[in-house]
Amino acid sequence: MSGAPIRTRGLGKRYGRVQALDDLSLDVGQGEVFGFLGPNGAGKTTTIRLLLGLIRPTAGEASVLGQPVSSRAVAWRAEVGFLPGDMTFWPRLSGLETLDFLAALAGRPADARAGLLDRLALGAAELARPVRTYSDGMKQKLGLVQALQCSPRLALLDEPTKGLDPLVQQGFYEILADARANGATVFLSSHVLSEVERVCDRVGMLRAGRLVSVGDVEALRRAERRRVRADFTADVDSAALAHFGDLVVGHPRRVELLVAQQEIPALVARLGMLPLADLVVERPSLEEAFLEHYR
Amino acid sequence: MSVGVLLRHHVRLNRVPLVPLAAGLAMFEWMMTFVARQPAVSSFLTTALRAAPPEFLSLINQDLLTTVGAQGIIGVGYTHPFTLIMMAVWAVRVPCAALAGEVGRGTMNLVAARPVTRAAQIAAALLALLGGLTVLAAAAWLGTVIGLLGRPLQGVSAWRYLPVAVALWLTFATFGIVGILVSSLSREAGTAIAWLSGVMAGSYVLDYAARVWPRIASLRPLSLFRYYEPQQVVRSGLAGSDLLMFAAVAAVALLIAFVCFGRRDL
Repeated sequence: MSGAPIRTRGLGKRYGRVQALDDLSLDVGQGEVFGFLGPNGAGKTTTIRLLLGLIRPTAGEASVLGQPVSSRAVAWRAEVGFLPGDMTFWPRLSGLETLDFLAALAGRPADARAGLLDRLALGAAELARPVRTYSDGMKQKLGLVQALQCSPRLALLDEPTKGLDPLVQQGFYEILADARANGATVFLSSHVLSEVERVCDRVGMLRAGRLVSVGDVEALRRAERRRVRADFTADVDSAALAHFGDLVVGHPRRVELLVAQQEIPALVARLGMLPLADLVVERPSLEEAFLEHYR
Repeated sequence: MSVGVLLRHHVRLNRVPLVPLAAGLAMFEWMMTFVARQPAVSSFLTTALRAAPPEFLSLINQDLLTTVGAQGIIGVGYTHPFTLIMMAVWAVRVPCAALAGEVGRGTMNLVAARPVTRAAQIAAALLALLGGLTVLAAAAWLGTVIGLLGRPLQGVSAWRYLPVAVALWLTFATFGIVGILVSSLSREAGTAIAWLSGVMAGSYVLDYAARVWPRIASLRPLSLFRYYEPQQVVRSGLAGSDLLMFAAVAAVALLIAFVCFGRRDL
């Protein structure tokens, strides 16, 4: 196995008759921010739990930071930060006790803690309180701090902005930017497409446990079809344009089509021959690209 | 190193209940020396026990009749349901919370995602279990010691009860280790607590039933309580065969727990 932060080959997990993850082959490079998209039950959390060795694969193999996950050796986990999707702590411990305990378990100094607390607006008074008194948002902030306080080389973050208000989300994006600047690799799962679009270099999309697409955020958008809307000054035969793509709206004076990028020049040339009043070609948002995959 | 960190964590989560449990045991055993001191009480108990139905005598151990004096009554303190329940609280609580409890609550994710082996998690739970039981058994014996120091009884030495406290510790250490096995296989603390409590209660009932019902007397060795006989220990010390049985059960349970917990999904 190479020393890539994350490498999986044919990784799979089956729970009885349910195939939670199937044949996942993926490489995530050093310093990359990789977004893992998919609806509930797609296999995102299963993937992260497999990468950490919390569950055992039923097929394939994975390595993290160059170490096989199946190995009994666990030293590599000292350089991994993990934010679970469902953030739960020990209710009677204070926030500070929780952070100290988890840093001690990692066996590394919590050198990034002060900066994280500052960015996420988590004060000393709040840290002194038992975690049972925390709101969901505060628990999520504490979860982010525990995951990143020891400056991990690899951060595995499951739904990192869940429950955070927009201001704190902004702080989190700054933290991610800093981590990337320091050479850390980030693997985050999310439902929030705009977030992935904003912070990730590459994105993988999971559907029913299978990786259906992986690529640069930009490349993914390029691969998706454009929405073309044309208005005419006179009636036209909209059905005659259907062979360029999928006809979404087909009125005599308005046509809306989903068209592959390579078809755009031919479509525009054809539209130029018609009594065109207005023409709009929209790039798909990542959300549209995503939804198209799941249609 | 991670075993030490985890052990401190278990101590922090469980130290509050340990204090009243230890204090309760110490006071109870002290109280038994107070009761034993009264000759009238000893005499009354002897008479009452002789009149009791055989099933009851089996429950409290018939040997007691021969040692129902001060020495025997203090020994009863170590088989009394109060003592057994105090010890059982710790033997159930710690193993069930340390593994299944963490899995059920979701905090196991935070622990197991760090450089901590599964074996280290079991080792920390084991040390927390044994450490707490040591405190409790010592507190029980301390109660006896303080009682006998304050009101010396002729012919009764506190040292005779040290092996009894050790036997008490061994019994619940073994149950606790069985609890570690149960916990290592469970996804919720509640499930583990139910199973372990069932094992303990079943073992207690089997020991009693096998003593009063000759048809199932041959099943008695299947109960761990068969190997815990304080009156016998007071008279002749710890039996090697009993020690061996506790050690064997504990070793097998621990081995299975290590293997199963090492291979299971968390």
